[in-house]
Amino acid sequence: MVDKRDGAKEIEVDYTRLRIPFGPVHPALKEPVSLRVTVRKEEILDVNVVLGHVHRGIEALAENRNLVQTLYLVEKICGICSHSHTTCYVQAIEEIGGIQPPERALYLRTLIFELERIHSHLFLLGVLAYEVGFDTLFMFAWHVRESVLDLFEKITGNRVHHSMNTLGGVRWDLDQRLIDDVRVALKDLHNSVRRIYDFFQDKTVEKRLCDVGVLDKDTAQKLCVVGPTARGSGVNMDVRRDHPYAAYTHLKDNFSVAVREKGDVYARTEVRLLELFESINLIQKVLEVLPDGPIRVEENVIRLMRRIPEGEAISLVEAPRGELLYFVKTNGKEGLWRLKVRTPTIPNVLGLKPMLVGCEIADIPVVVASIDPCMACANRLVVVDAVTEDEKIVDMDFLRRRRRKTWKL
Amino acid sequence: METLIALLLAFPLVFVVSLLFDGIDRKLHARMQRRIGPPITQPLYDFVKLFSKERIVPVTASLAIFTVLPPIAAAASILGASILLATLLFGVSIGGDLLVVLYLLAMSSVLVMVGGSSSGNPYGAVGLSRKMSMLIAYEVPLLLSILSVYLKVNSLSYYDVASAQIMAESMLALAFPSMAVAAAAFLICITAAADAVPFDVSEAKTEIVYGPLVEYGGPFLALFKLAKSASNLALTLLAATLFFYLPASFGGGASLGLGSLIICLVLALFFWFLTITIPRTIFARLKVGQAFKFYWFVALPLSVVAVLLSVVGL
Repeated sequence: MVDKRDGAKEIEVDYTRLRIPFGPVHPALKEPVSLRVTVRKEEILDVNVVLGHVHRGIEALAENRNLVQTLYLVEKICGICSHSHTTCYVQAIEEIGGIQPPERALYLRTLIFELERIHSHLFLLGVLAYEVGFDTLFMFAWHVRESVLDLFEKITGNRVHHSMNTLGGVRWDLDQRLIDDVRVALKDLHNSVRRIYDFFQDKTVEKRLCDVGVLDKDTAQKLCVVGPTARGSGVNMDVRRDHPYAAYTHLKDNFSVAVREKGDVYARTEVRLLELFESINLIQKVLEVLPDGPIRVEENVIRLMRRIPEGEAISLVEAPRGELLYFVKTNGKEGLWRLKVRTPTIPNVLGLKPMLVGCEIADIPVVVASIDPCMACANRLVVVDAVTEDEKIVDMDFLRRRRRKTWKL
Repeated sequence: METLIALLLAFPLVFVVSLLFDGIDRKLHARMQRRIGPPITQPLYDFVKLFSKERIVPVTASLAIFTVLPPIAAAASILGASILLATLLFGVSIGGDLLVVLYLLAMSSVLVMVGGSSSGNPYGAVGLSRKMSMLIAYEVPLLLSILSVYLKVNSLSYYDVASAQIMAESMLALAFPSMAVAAAAFLICITAAADAVPFDVSEAKTEIVYGPLVEYGGPFLALFKLAKSASNLALTLLAATLFFYLPASFGGGASLGLGSLIICLVLALFFWFLTITIPRTIFARLKVGQAFKFYWFVALPLSVVAVLLSVVGL
């Protein structure tokens, strides 16, 4: 149909297109992200990803705190990969301060790191099963994940925010009894993960995951996607192997990087499933070669913090979702000039558009879940007016004014 | 007049039994997932609770259609189930009531669909188009399998089909190969008619937020849920009595009445478990195209074979 306005301009109005708001509150999305999806019948024509619903201003908050307080602040960036964040932060601070944590601490960090990868991947596999309507697998995957959380509780005392890291080492040690506990739990875990792997070979699951949300290798490299999302598209990258940190320097030969070429949702899922097995093997290896010795260089962390000079460092780790980058600039007076966090979801969320265009509405939740989005980690800068849909970039001055206003209250 | 009274008596029975079956379904589903699950009376509590909630009509909805359809849908499917129960209980015979039952059940699905699309929500619109595809997919084989029953028994009265089995002292599905095939097609269609995973594309909570039901809440939602449970009961009871009328194989005269009704209800519960609970536990949701293909390439040929076989006389 042709709609004439003032006779000046003719606008084509296509009534077969339907714009569906997907989120920020939607039962399929565990994270507050809004997708503006344009569809014709079931086919997706265009996608617009709108972020900014849970901006928490953590980077600005970090500038007001001292180094140790910030350690516990960055842990709260993500509830799933809290250990990745603290490890990344602590590594940067240790580099600035020239602190070399003891070997045993590095191995313990690695242990928690891999346990965290297992629980994050199980979490996602469960969510993925839920998105395709396979509730039984969802319940089973989360049931298995519970045993990993129990291990966390036994080792660190906390199920979600482990608070394992401290400047110059770790806070909790493993004794022989705990090591045995972990070994036993790992054996059960291995069997359960194998069953989940078999579940994912199910015909109806495969029908929903194969050839859906394809991201080819070129686009993946152009958009700099990271982690399992990149490895599912045939990009062979893994920080643990390419820039080893913690105990991975010694464990480089004990794990292989799973890469799949197809680039669809199933490939990304398969990469995560294989990583589960690798992580279990890696933990067994860590338990085997765990060196003796102290777990931190200094008991009094405040004294250690006072020795950190002014300086800056970049630190990289492979979080369960992909490469996590921290830029830290200390001011030499126990505080920070600047903290910059680049979480894996930031590049990965860009991949959503090429994945989704051409798919069906039914595929949206599956594809969105397959990059394992963590929106709370990724929200930056943009403020969206829900009524007029105006978007504006928030600059530092605006934030400062806002902060002053809040202080007055 | 007697028919009407019998139907009215069956109304509360349908209400309680269908919601209880729904509760048993949820309990078994939960146990198979290593959960404890709700008590089996939970759907009854839900019904009462939903009725105490406020009625919300979205501003974009067309008021009349949005509010009038839920009671009609519930009445239609309860009536459908009552006809079956009344026949079994009191031996009421209405000519051609099989078609009426199927019509009532289809109508309740159509009303849910139309009510959802009248809400003005885009998810309702998507739900409407998906439900329409699914209706076309499963209604045809469903009707064809009933047609083959008609060809066999030469009557469209539910009472006649039951009494034919009593006369033969055998279940239809076991006596004739054509009926066995028809029963298979009918059972496959129940899964889609009940909107159970893997064929719940029209509701698909993770994709389109329950589709047609997205804007419904309170009493409206309660009525739609009741309509769903009652039509599930009617469908499973149809499967249990048209093809597997167990009391018939006991022989003797005592083949209608309370005893046989209870046997049939237990059988219906078994078919509910088989066609609704098990698929929704062990499968993932299909896409609308895949579900459509399944019905046209599996259920439809099956029912056509059933019709051909009964024409030949097997």
